[in-house]
Amino acid sequence: MIHLGKNSTSRIISKGIAAASSNNTYRGLVSAHRKATGARNFTNCDSLLIGNNCGAHTVPYIEAKNSSAVFEHEATTSKISEDTLFYCMQRGLSAEEAVAVVVNGFVKDVLQQLPMEFAVEAQKLIAISLEGSVG
Amino acid sequence: MALLEVKNLQVEAGGKKILNGLDLSVNVGEVHAIMGPNGSGKSTFSYVLAGKPGYKITGGSARFEGEDLLALAPDERAAKGLFLAFQYPLEIPGVTTMTFLRTAVNAVRKKRGEAEISTPDFLRFVREKAAALHIDLEMLKRAVNVGFSGGEKKRNEILQMALLEPKLGVLDETDSGLDIDALKVVAEGVNKLRSKKRAIIVITHYQRLLDHIVPDIVHVMAKGKIVRSGGPELALELEKKGYAAFEQAA
Repeated sequence: MIHLGKNSTSRIISKGIAAASSNNTYRGLVSAHRKATGARNFTNCDSLLIGNNCGAHTVPYIEAKNSSAVFEHEATTSKISEDTLFYCMQRGLSAEEAVAVVVNGFVKDVLQQLPMEFAVEAQKLIAISLEGSVG
Repeated sequence: MALLEVKNLQVEAGGKKILNGLDLSVNVGEVHAIMGPNGSGKSTFSYVLAGKPGYKITGGSARFEGEDLLALAPDERAAKGLFLAFQYPLEIPGVTTMTFLRTAVNAVRKKRGEAEISTPDFLRFVREKAAALHIDLEMLKRAVNVGFSGGEKKRNEILQMALLEPKLGVLDETDSGLDIDALKVVAEGVNKLRSKKRAIIVITHYQRLLDHIVPDIVHVMAKGKIVRSGGPELALELEKKGYAAFEQAA
């Protein structure tokens, strides 16, 4: 994200999912140029872990070339807990349906912003790539 | 045939024995109360019935309509008609309660070989059940249990029980964390679910809840088994004497 104009604002929402033995890393540069006074950025990095052998890493880069720019960064990491899955399964959802519900809730902020066709595709893609990730 | 037949159930968790030969028989149409001090194994019993992972069954059996309950996965037990109202319902961020309810109802219907419920029918169904529990429909637009008050969480549990129409409802300390008014609303909701086709097990510490949900049979649990059973008067005796007298008998 490069800020060139005065008082320009931006927002980054990143949602990463790591399952099985995968690792997920966020790297993002936010830069404000010399003339971009009063530039503001808010970055939100959420990671979701499925299983015990995966990891999430967040590496934000910040480059402020004027002293009035304000950059904010927030990061969370959560894990789909066995208790949450059990709660869903007690309500009749299979293990895979339970994961799908929790994951869909997690990515909702981002998918909501996508055009309808993409959102549907993305949702299906997530479901397919997570197939068999809980055993 | 009893709806639920538990015989000599023995359960360990983390190498520690929690249930020590628990026997319980529940028939359709009955409301049972299980009372007992902290650590007597009440919640463990409810979790074992529902199939929570992390417990090791070392002996005994639990049959639901004659079928081996302990061999089934949690979702299969739910489909068979076992419902557990959690003492601490879990939060699912980003998933609206309405979506969750609908997913659950349809998952159970699918497993029971029924058709999925249509959206208008489902909305009517939810509205009717929610009104009975004084649940505002606004609440159902919020994420599941996220930021819910204690009373809202418990009402949400009972709403789910009403929607899933189980044969056996197990209420694990549904009265904990409720003020007197909320307790009445929840108890009324449970009483509406009493039916000749359904059994309910109420797990509680206090007689107070049983003033509102009057049980047919009261069991006292201590050190991982049921040490005494009797009518509603047993709960009153317990309130007077405390649990200590019963623990010695165990």
